[in-house]
Amino acid sequence: MTRAIRALSIALAVLFAVGAPAAWAQDTVKVGVIEPLSGPVAASGNYVRMGAEIARDWINGKGGVLGRKIELLIEDNKSDPKEAATAAEKLIVRDKVPVIMGAWGSSMTLAAMPKLAEYGVPMVVETSSAATITKQGNPWIFRISPPSEMEALGLQKYLKDFGIKQADFLAVNTDWGRGSVAAFGDLLKKSGGSVGTVEFMDQAATDMNAQITKVKAGSADTLFLTTSVEQITLVLKQAQEQRLTRKVITTGGSSSPSQLIKQAGAAAEGTYHILFFLPWFPEAMPDGKLAKAFVDEWAKRGHPFEGLTEGFRGHDGVLTAVEGVRLAGKADPKAVQEALWKVNVMGLNGPIKFEKDGPAGKESGQSKPSIFIVQVKDGKIALPAFAAKK
Amino acid sequence: MRAVALLLGLAAAATAPFWVWNPYHLHTLIMAGIFAVLALSLNLLLGYTGQLSLGHAAFFGIGAYATALLTVKLEWSPWIGLLAAVVLPGLAGWVIGRLALKLRGAYFVLLTISFAGCVSLVSVNWMDLTNGPLGLPGVPALEIALPGLPSLSLRTKVAFYYVVLVAVVLAYLVCLALIRSRVGRALVALRENETLAASVGIDGTHYLVLAAVVSAAMAGFGGGLYAHYTRFVSPEVFLFTYTVTMVIMVVAGGKGTLAGPVVGAVLFTVLPEALRAATSWQWQMLLYGILLVAVLFFMPQGIVPALRQLGSGVRRRASAS
Amino acid sequence: MDQLLQHLLNGLLLGATYSLLGIGLTLVFGLMSVVNFAHGEFYTLGAYAAFAALTVASVHFFLAIPLAIVVGAAAGAVCERGLLRPLRGQSIDTVMLVMIGLWIAMQNAELLGWGGVAKSVPTPFPTQPLVLGPVSVAPLRVFVFVVSAALILGAHLLLARTKLGRAMRATFQDRETAALMGVSIERIHTVTFAFGAGLAAAAGALLGPVFLLYPSMGDLASLKAFSVVILGGLGNFAGAALGGLVLGVAEELGAGYVSSGYRDAVGFLMIVAVLLLRPSGLFARAERVG
Repeated sequence: MTRAIRALSIALAVLFAVGAPAAWAQDTVKVGVIEPLSGPVAASGNYVRMGAEIARDWINGKGGVLGRKIELLIEDNKSDPKEAATAAEKLIVRDKVPVIMGAWGSSMTLAAMPKLAEYGVPMVVETSSAATITKQGNPWIFRISPPSEMEALGLQKYLKDFGIKQADFLAVNTDWGRGSVAAFGDLLKKSGGSVGTVEFMDQAATDMNAQITKVKAGSADTLFLTTSVEQITLVLKQAQEQRLTRKVITTGGSSSPSQLIKQAGAAAEGTYHILFFLPWFPEAMPDGKLAKAFVDEWAKRGHPFEGLTEGFRGHDGVLTAVEGVRLAGKADPKAVQEALWKVNVMGLNGPIKFEKDGPAGKESGQSKPSIFIVQVKDGKIALPAFAAKK
Repeated sequence: MRAVALLLGLAAAATAPFWVWNPYHLHTLIMAGIFAVLALSLNLLLGYTGQLSLGHAAFFGIGAYATALLTVKLEWSPWIGLLAAVVLPGLAGWVIGRLALKLRGAYFVLLTISFAGCVSLVSVNWMDLTNGPLGLPGVPALEIALPGLPSLSLRTKVAFYYVVLVAVVLAYLVCLALIRSRVGRALVALRENETLAASVGIDGTHYLVLAAVVSAAMAGFGGGLYAHYTRFVSPEVFLFTYTVTMVIMVVAGGKGTLAGPVVGAVLFTVLPEALRAATSWQWQMLLYGILLVAVLFFMPQGIVPALRQLGSGVRRRASAS
Repeated sequence: MDQLLQHLLNGLLLGATYSLLGIGLTLVFGLMSVVNFAHGEFYTLGAYAAFAALTVASVHFFLAIPLAIVVGAAAGAVCERGLLRPLRGQSIDTVMLVMIGLWIAMQNAELLGWGGVAKSVPTPFPTQPLVLGPVSVAPLRVFVFVVSAALILGAHLLLARTKLGRAMRATFQDRETAALMGVSIERIHTVTFAFGAGLAAAAGALLGPVFLLYPSMGDLASLKAFSVVILGGLGNFAGAALGGLVLGVAEELGAGYVSSGYRDAVGFLMIVAVLLLRPSGLFARAERVG
């Protein structure tokens, strides 16, 4: 036991030394960023980070905020909720950030939320789609990404054009996949359609043949697919192998159609994708000039084109956070939280303005992002005929 | 001399919140404490019976879910939740122990992995019970509510630190009592030579089951603590990385010793945080893997046994001169 | 009926790859008693090696696979000599932990080097599936099945018919006697580990084009490999080969007819069942398990 205590004391000393405030104390405005930078979704987390870095450089190029430059403090949540909570704690307590952006996955965001409430620091949620995030009664959450219900509503106006009578669902077995199935299923039922086979796949699964065989045996006309681009590629390839002929619609905005075309080839032909950013037609975005500038800057930095459909989230998240600081007039978490309600700024996806969501008195902020649909035609991305008109 | 050092160490641990001024460091210590309980529990199986459980995260997770479900869905007191967090995994440990009956070594390992895998899949798929991947947010904090007195919330970090400290001491004492008793001697006999032990009438299975139950219950207790500290439970508690972390703490700390798991827990909770502070995110896990290999390469028996050898070596030289 | 046939075909194709993963591990785990958690990382290494050969060095597809095997085997040999040999004699847990450290290091090095974005491997096969009555299958997967079978057969012949194979089997049956007969124990250990790593790398090079390449692809592979090893019996080569097929078919049927969410549970439950009822493996002769 003695040695345990001795070792404990040494460890504490190390911790003490290492945790001492950093030597460089520049006068910057710090923005915390928590993303999955390692693990199975490392690609997505890194795309968001790249978008955030572009936003940082643009803002600093224009003089920063409140006369100071902004600095991104980037933490890896390793796709683990415990790590997300620890990262939030570190950013808030050790680095004293006035605002955070994160944490990509819904479980990670939910795990970090108690820390936000404990210390009173706001977080801009850029990707998570679980409805519970804004319904928890946590007034420190401001989400710019759409929950699945909102995404489904975005599809509503195209429903007749799609002419869906019965749809199957194949989704990743996470909160995102399940939430999507529920939301789109409800939408379908309300519009007179019906839900066919509902199948799930494990996040790390590579062989979905069993699920595809089951879908094929049904009589639906459409397949809703909700998962990461890697699994979508595999599903499409395996569906091609089993000669599945259905209309395919992917949801969630993470389908990266350019990557699909590259990796799934002909199997991706004819598929539809719900996205929140159109790097192929930046002029079609609400702020065409900004979108085009972002796409160009992304290419200039040598980032893969496929990452744009997720990278924009990092940009919009940082933009929103910094705007909150600017309106607050000081880098103070409580002031920034109050100021975020007043944010009314044009991001890459469209206008960002928060509305109240959740239990009265402790509402979270939820913005209403723009939703788009594209189709893969002749190996290229195109706006479907009915969407181009609107 | 040893008594003085022990007292100083205990005093340091007991007053930590007052001189560890940074709440983030206190958070790290709390997590280290929870993992110390987990490591001590795994050590009972691994260090003393010689059987490795690679599904220990299952007991941790069952404990976390037990208390989370009771306090969130049924709104029962967190203390009852903690009790469930001890009892339910203990039951599971009993099942595993009895199922394992004649299994040893690698076969036992794989049984535990399969068990953990099944439990994990249930937590993800049985939406009605566990809320599936959405998890259970809003787990309440512990609070002491005695009749007639105002309730004392144990929400704050400082309060929870003491809860965890008491938990670690309790776990340590339970292990100590078990090891020093007849049961402990039987377990060691099992570990060293089961056939020989059987020949003198020690029923290997009976003691293995007992060790499994206590080990599982303790891990569940750690899970309950975790649930009431982080206040959010999701299927990720069954992640294999939690089991791996526990194994690292026990083996690198020194299995078969009682100090080893505690040292391992503190070191391998502090280390990732130190890496987080010292290097950018790209290098953290790579360095972690390399450091792990290095520690084991130079101290294959674990840190505590290596330190003890060093200590006795110094003493021998000192007494020789 | 059509569905069943397709499920069975899927299961066999999947199972062949599980077999390939399993036989490499059963030798290392069963004969050397090394709980090799880094087995999946040699799988990943093989996949990335093939990818590098194809894209960077423009090597022909059919050459990339043997190349990947060589790279995997070499890495295995280095690992054995550098990490395992100095630790020979240490407890099984210490060695296991070292392999875990290696697993973490290798995966994160791959993440650092190749980035997290999944890569697809170009193949010379047409994507149009072959139609055989009610079922269809991609030509690439038939190729993978054939090569896997060939590799398994080749490995079996090596173990059963060659001098090296005899030496390996002798060493693991009775070390002292084998040494007395002139077998270099150190060399056999290195060769065995390299053999296992090479087979894993082969599986990676073959499966990379079927699926996608990303740094964490080996995690699932490791898990399946361990399942196959148990099903077939530790150290039982033929058992692992058959066990892989059994696991593949069982998973497919389970996912197809029971529930896709609980798909992996099929594998776990089979392991539990085997361990409780026939612990030495489905295909083993009598063997001590305690």
